[in-house]
Amino acid sequence: MKDMMKITLSLVMIFIGAGLIMGVTYKFTSPIKFKAEKKEKEEALKEMAPTATDPITPAGKWSVHSRNFEYYMATASGKPVAYISSTAGKGYSSFIQMLVSLDTDLKISEVKVLSMNETPGLGDQVLEKSFLDQFKGKPLSQIILIKGETKENIQAITGATISSRGVTNGIKDAVQTLVDKYGAGIKTAVQEVKHEH
Amino acid sequence: MSTNISYGTILKNGMFGENPVFRLALSLCPAVAVTGGVKNGFLMGVAVLFVMTMVNGTVSLLRNFINPKVRIPSYMFIIATWVTVTDQVMAATQRAVYKEMGLYIVLIVAFAIVLSRAEMFASRNKLLPSLVDGFGMGLGFLLALVLLGIFREFLGKGSLWGAQILPGKPVLIMIMPAGGFFAMGLMMGWLNWIDRKFFGGTGASSGGH
Repeated sequence: MKDMMKITLSLVMIFIGAGLIMGVTYKFTSPIKFKAEKKEKEEALKEMAPTATDPITPAGKWSVHSRNFEYYMATASGKPVAYISSTAGKGYSSFIQMLVSLDTDLKISEVKVLSMNETPGLGDQVLEKSFLDQFKGKPLSQIILIKGETKENIQAITGATISSRGVTNGIKDAVQTLVDKYGAGIKTAVQEVKHEH
Repeated sequence: MSTNISYGTILKNGMFGENPVFRLALSLCPAVAVTGGVKNGFLMGVAVLFVMTMVNGTVSLLRNFINPKVRIPSYMFIIATWVTVTDQVMAATQRAVYKEMGLYIVLIVAFAIVLSRAEMFASRNKLLPSLVDGFGMGLGFLLALVLLGIFREFLGKGSLWGAQILPGKPVLIMIMPAGGFFAMGLMMGWLNWIDRKFFGGTGASSGGH
């Protein structure tokens, strides 16, 4: 009985001490961590829309793969210059988290991979500029993954088809969402032009 | 182990004589998992080095206070505390590094080598030798991870620390998970051969995970 008390006391003391150390560390580090994360997010958004002058704030939420993502309208003195969305695609071994931005013609202007955990040497080739640059300047209708040579669409990386598909699908979902939200004005304009001919 | 062994011997023991990965064959999981590149291996090694030194120090300080019947839970709690502290401090101050290896740091809690040194050495020795042992073992672990990282990244990607040296990918399988086992086996065999041939040793004998 006396032994049991001793054991309990010794364990409780260690737990309390450890709890104190962890608590104090958390108190000092969490505000710094929070600020750094916020700043990184702002910087990433700013990179997606370099011409924007106003602060970029979330305009709404959408979801895919039962995950929530935010979209943004970047403005310069009140006028829209870019539409941005966070998104993710299911790759081979991870969800590939990305940011996509569209110009005012709803064509892709920038694609950025935020995080992924694909196979090193194979799947992680989706980070390469030569692959991601293919998306630039393309509208929604052209975002289709092709195995083999293509200039019109997106060419999959040999040996990393599933990762390439993950990136392409993630971007397609985000562009679809942005077009649905902001495309109305532009779509009707196009239809009107067709009508006249 | 008696306490009158010199610190240099303890340090050397951790790095070579009882190298955690190649001689004690402990903590092989992380040694396979994070050595796809030299950089990852190095960063992981540094984190382990810090955690091992702190854990050994703490266990040594509390060695007369910890009840032997509940020593393992106590050690685990001390390890978890230092890992959490490392994780939080890195997340706040070393953002770039943390992004690369944040996932791996929390795994240190389960490394057999940390617990085994707390039990084998720190719980029986004074503060200073325990700190030196933790540091030496951590350094040995770091050395092993960097060696494996060099071997695997050079053969698998043709690069070192992300810088391309060879064109193309000579032996792609080396950076895949399976390649980790090949690299580990080849490396351990090679080091055992050196040990037997030149130093008259017996090679690694024990095993763990």
